[in-house]
Amino acid sequence: MTVKKRVSDLTSLERFNMYYKEQEPNLSTNERMRRFIWNPKTRQFCGRTGSSWSKIALFYFIFYAALAILVAICMWTFLQLLDPRQPMWQLDKSIIGTNPGLGFRPLPPEVMSSVIWYKGNDPSSHQFWVKELSKFLKAYKRDDKKAGAGQNIHNCDFQHPPPAGKVCDVDISTWGPCVEGNHFAYHKSTPCVFLKLNKIYGWKPHFYNSSDSLPPAMPEDLKNHIRNLTAHDKNYLNMVWVSCEGENPADRENIGPIQYLPNRGFPGYYFPYTNQEGYLSPLVAVHLQRPKTGMLINIECRAWAHNIMYDRHEGMGTVHIEIMIE
Amino acid sequence: MASKESLDHGRTDSYRVATIGPIKDDNRTADGQYKTRRKPPAKKRKTGDLDDLKQELDIDYHKVSPEELYQRFQTHPENGLSHAKAKENLERDGPNALTPPKQTPEWVKFCKNLFGGFALLLWIGAILCFIAYGIQASTVEEPADDNLYLGIVLAAVVIVTGIFSYYQESKSSKIMESFKNMVPQFATVIREGEKLTLRAEDLVLGDIVEVKFGDRIPADIRIIEARGFKVDNSSLTGESEPQSRGAEFTNENPLETKNLAFFSTNAVEGTAKGIVICCGDNTVMGRIAGLASGLDTGETPIAKEIHHFIHLITGVAVFLGVTFFVIAFILGYHWLDAVIFLIGIIVANVPEGLLATVTVCLTLTAKRMASKNCLVKNLEAVETLGSTSTICSDKTGTLTQNRMTVAHMWFDNQIIEADTTEDQSGVQYDRTSPGFKALAKIATLCNRAEFKGGQDGVPILKKEVAGDASEAALLKCMELALGDVMSIRKRNKKVCEIPFNSTNKYQVSIHESDDASDPRHQLVMKGAPERILERCSTIFIGGKEKVLDEEMKEAFNNAYLELGGLGERVLGFCDLQLPSDKYPIGYKFNTDDPNFPLDNLRFVGLMSMIDPPRAAVPDAVAKCRSAGIKVIMVTGDHPITAKAIAKSVGIISEGNETVEDIAARLNIPVSEVNPREAKAAVVHGTELRELNSDQLDEILKYHTEIVFARTSPQQKLIIVEGCQRLGAIVAVTGDGVNDSPALKKADIGVAMGIAGSDVSKQAADMILLDDNFASIVTGVEEGRLIFDNLKKSIAYTLTSNIPEISPFLAFILCDIPLPLGTVTILCIDLGTDMVPAISLAYEAPESDIMKRQPRDPYRDNLVNRRLISMAYGQIGMIQAAAGFFVYFVIMAENGFLPLKLFGIRKQWDSKAINDLTDSYGQEWTYRDRKALEFTCHTAFFVSIVVVQWADLIICKTRRNSIVHQGMRNWALNFGLIFETALAAFLSYTPGMDKGLRMYPLKFVWWLPAIPFMLSIFIYDEIRRFYLRRNPGGWLEQETYY
Repeated sequence: MTVKKRVSDLTSLERFNMYYKEQEPNLSTNERMRRFIWNPKTRQFCGRTGSSWSKIALFYFIFYAALAILVAICMWTFLQLLDPRQPMWQLDKSIIGTNPGLGFRPLPPEVMSSVIWYKGNDPSSHQFWVKELSKFLKAYKRDDKKAGAGQNIHNCDFQHPPPAGKVCDVDISTWGPCVEGNHFAYHKSTPCVFLKLNKIYGWKPHFYNSSDSLPPAMPEDLKNHIRNLTAHDKNYLNMVWVSCEGENPADRENIGPIQYLPNRGFPGYYFPYTNQEGYLSPLVAVHLQRPKTGMLINIECRAWAHNIMYDRHEGMGTVHIEIMIE
Repeated sequence: MASKESLDHGRTDSYRVATIGPIKDDNRTADGQYKTRRKPPAKKRKTGDLDDLKQELDIDYHKVSPEELYQRFQTHPENGLSHAKAKENLERDGPNALTPPKQTPEWVKFCKNLFGGFALLLWIGAILCFIAYGIQASTVEEPADDNLYLGIVLAAVVIVTGIFSYYQESKSSKIMESFKNMVPQFATVIREGEKLTLRAEDLVLGDIVEVKFGDRIPADIRIIEARGFKVDNSSLTGESEPQSRGAEFTNENPLETKNLAFFSTNAVEGTAKGIVICCGDNTVMGRIAGLASGLDTGETPIAKEIHHFIHLITGVAVFLGVTFFVIAFILGYHWLDAVIFLIGIIVANVPEGLLATVTVCLTLTAKRMASKNCLVKNLEAVETLGSTSTICSDKTGTLTQNRMTVAHMWFDNQIIEADTTEDQSGVQYDRTSPGFKALAKIATLCNRAEFKGGQDGVPILKKEVAGDASEAALLKCMELALGDVMSIRKRNKKVCEIPFNSTNKYQVSIHESDDASDPRHQLVMKGAPERILERCSTIFIGGKEKVLDEEMKEAFNNAYLELGGLGERVLGFCDLQLPSDKYPIGYKFNTDDPNFPLDNLRFVGLMSMIDPPRAAVPDAVAKCRSAGIKVIMVTGDHPITAKAIAKSVGIISEGNETVEDIAARLNIPVSEVNPREAKAAVVHGTELRELNSDQLDEILKYHTEIVFARTSPQQKLIIVEGCQRLGAIVAVTGDGVNDSPALKKADIGVAMGIAGSDVSKQAADMILLDDNFASIVTGVEEGRLIFDNLKKSIAYTLTSNIPEISPFLAFILCDIPLPLGTVTILCIDLGTDMVPAISLAYEAPESDIMKRQPRDPYRDNLVNRRLISMAYGQIGMIQAAAGFFVYFVIMAENGFLPLKLFGIRKQWDSKAINDLTDSYGQEWTYRDRKALEFTCHTAFFVSIVVVQWADLIICKTRRNSIVHQGMRNWALNFGLIFETALAAFLSYTPGMDKGLRMYPLKFVWWLPAIPFMLSIFIYDEIRRFYLRRNPGGWLEQETYY
């Protein structure tokens, strides 16, 4: 490597000639490229010699190693501050907020889609959905032989909320046609769709505490259902109600009667969710009893409680399902 | 014998020679190669025109008899043209005005701004957005409007920046228009026997015009009658002496013959009547202006640098964009997604605000320069001056005051120095000796110059004088020494006078005495010293009259040679008291046949004049020299005068010798001196004509201090081309029309605001409002500073590109939710980064920028590998790390621990999934996820702002510590506060979540970037510490940009 003279050491002529250099001979672009990639005269590859490449590589290796260490230290320190059991920000302080949405199962294979589409008379086409549901409901199955699993599960009802550290059981085995043994009724072209309320850490629903204060937007049949149900048992007021309807007038006709299993809602004793071990989301199985076939049916299911806002566009307190049975 | 020679040959001589030229310049060097920087003659017709212009003026109007001329133009010397004929001629030839140089149409300029540079890339981005939106709109019921908005925003960005740069450009060209002479020129014309006053544009061939002193010649005219008529041809030929013009044909060459006066030159004395022979573009002036506009000028260095930079960035953007487009396909993304990635990468890669920043920085500097008397016509020229490595300067007016001033006097056998400084701060001399008194009396009386009226408040030296330059010098000198010259003249009434003519070479006048005790007439004479001496028999020394013997003649000769050697114009003075018996009061003196003695006079002394250098020039030249800039003087003046001025201003520095000096010192013939030994050279125009381009290159290469004397405008062009051939970036100063080709050819042409002709201003890139060479040096300083500061500004702006691109890459490659959106990228590029980047233009220089060499235009690029390595490879990476850290922190605090995020992208972005589970089992709706994602975008954006604080501070200096540099740049400090305030505004203003998808952040989310900010600062301080400790070391070679 040549030692670069400092400008002050140059004679005035040398200094001057520094700026009056011979121009390089004109090479074609191709030649210039080739010479750039490998210059045999200076033994340069892509403008650098081997030692120059190794030096710069070493420099960047050390630099990025140091940067990685810095990131690692920061990340480690930060993760120490986190509680593995509960999120740092909860409810209103967290961006998740206090307004749960609804989810449904089975999920279509295509991530971007919300259409449950199968051929009623073709077992291979509804097999996917059945499998999907079985997979989802596996966690809900009680397997007595397996020791340890589900040991903190407690059978709750309104009088017996779960003791601390225990979670309530969701017994799916008794849900009429919507059981695995019945292929969730898919083969009969009367599919079951399972609804669940999104879990939000620490979220508690504010129930409609009387059947008179139900919101006007609530469908009449649900209102009647609540009145009937609560007439003999006030405990049933402690429910997050669920209603499913066709989105458009045509859908409402096509959807046919709907059966909700086991209740038309999520009982209050499942809340709040605090990341308990083995916690099971309460479910509602929605059984479409006579849906029109060969039609795409848009269904909107809504959860009802004082503190569940509703916005169809934003997916707040609601979920959008499309069903197509051929 | 400076005076004598300059009187004998006009400068027109060399001008003619150069205009013809022994061989036509075919734009090839001696070995047949095309000259560099000039395009080969692609258009034959155009070069033909150029050669035409370089030809001698092929006219015979000055040769033919006036009668034939009248015949030819169907005009009459008394009655002039008929109105009908004049109208016909006007319709045929068009108005008598120069065609303005071809202007690019405004819409072309506008389109260039709209589609040039990065704009094209952004247009592609915008169009892709619209296409993506169009496809979404036709396939999905409720398409997301994101792509539509982004497309609109991108298009708006391009249009706004385009309009902005167009506005800046047109503003600077408006400045120029103010320079155009808006006062219409009028001419007195005789048509059908009537005297009319017409606008000069309406003149036609054959018009008879009358011109008087003070007028501008309205067209090329053949003079048919003249009374003491003199013209100042300086704007055409560079000849500063007024030249007398008359009806007689004296020379074959139209430029030298006495019976032609040329368009746009000035009449300084007398009156004349002439016939218009050439109009408008056909005039000599028009041809030279045409020659200038025919030259094509290359790109300015900064334009080259910016193009280089745009190519680099565009290359990177296209490469990354296409690569990831392909990768996205391979990873199985939908092609529409891949297109959206492509848009994101383009938007992230292009520093949208940078070109506007550069324009603003240049504008700021241009304004600063304008306040220092450098008016920049073309914004890019701001920087050109900074990279200048050679200045070819005019002498008259630029280096000198353009004011003949008495510099020395010789009387009583000694040389006295007069004060030549502009403000009379120099030494004073004894004004009481009888020798001086006698000399002063002659200088006062034998002088026809007078001050023009209405200049009462003006200092004497600055007053305008009617008359010849040397007489004006004497007048001013005497006014300073004696007081009111006019009253002295009044008291000594002039009774007769023989004016100066070139055969006598003297001027004599006889005055009545104001001394009541001595009523004798006094004869006073001045003229060429040797002629005056011939007429004297005695000499006045020490108050006594002595016989002029050989010894005295020797003393006279020595003084004369000494003053002449200083490049000064010397005049001799003598007088005689006429005996009152022979010449009583009222005696009729006859000047045609002198009836009074003109011999055996009394010699009094010599006075010598020079156009003295401006006070600030020697300093400025020294500054240029220490800044590695070669100053070459190019002048039409005599070599001796040129050399004297060159020495006095330091263009030829003390102790440096020319070949001739060495020859004289060693007493050997010039041919035996090794030219390499002489650092200085004075090259005569005739010598230059003999040189081929290789020899010229050799001169330019091996002599550091060069003076070209007696050069013609064509030769100036050759000199400029020679310097450019050697790779220099050349600045040329000039004021005359004849300089305009060289001004145009130069990398930066500098015209004179006061003395400059319109044509030269038209051709120049910059105008010196005070005509002072020292202003160029300030210009150089500003130009260098802006180059440095632009580097810093670009380094600052480019750094944030990495934290902008990397989120997209991570999004595609790691399948994480997008950490930074396109809108936030635009907020950085066009919002928070803009003011700080501009504020770097105000940064003070780190070291004395006038103590280093000019930048090497081939190697020292605006954006080089080292700058990219620093901005992208190092600081940018730390910034990206900061952004990602903040992203992961916010995600984790809300429930998504880092590992959970990888591979989650598809579910995350699916509207169908309303219950995405996080690390704590919480289930997120689409809306909440997006709120979280946009909060992350905002936080990523804020963290870029935070790390850009440190980046801004480290970009202030390239070598020095910030402790040394200080934080005195208040624009920059404001920039820091501004970007922070803007970031807070964007984050916290209600409604921003709807408009820009910016969400309010918790205060603690500003903090995670802080360790990275500090590490940027500390890393770079340490790096610069090593740079200072090990100058020229490896780290400098790799990281000093």
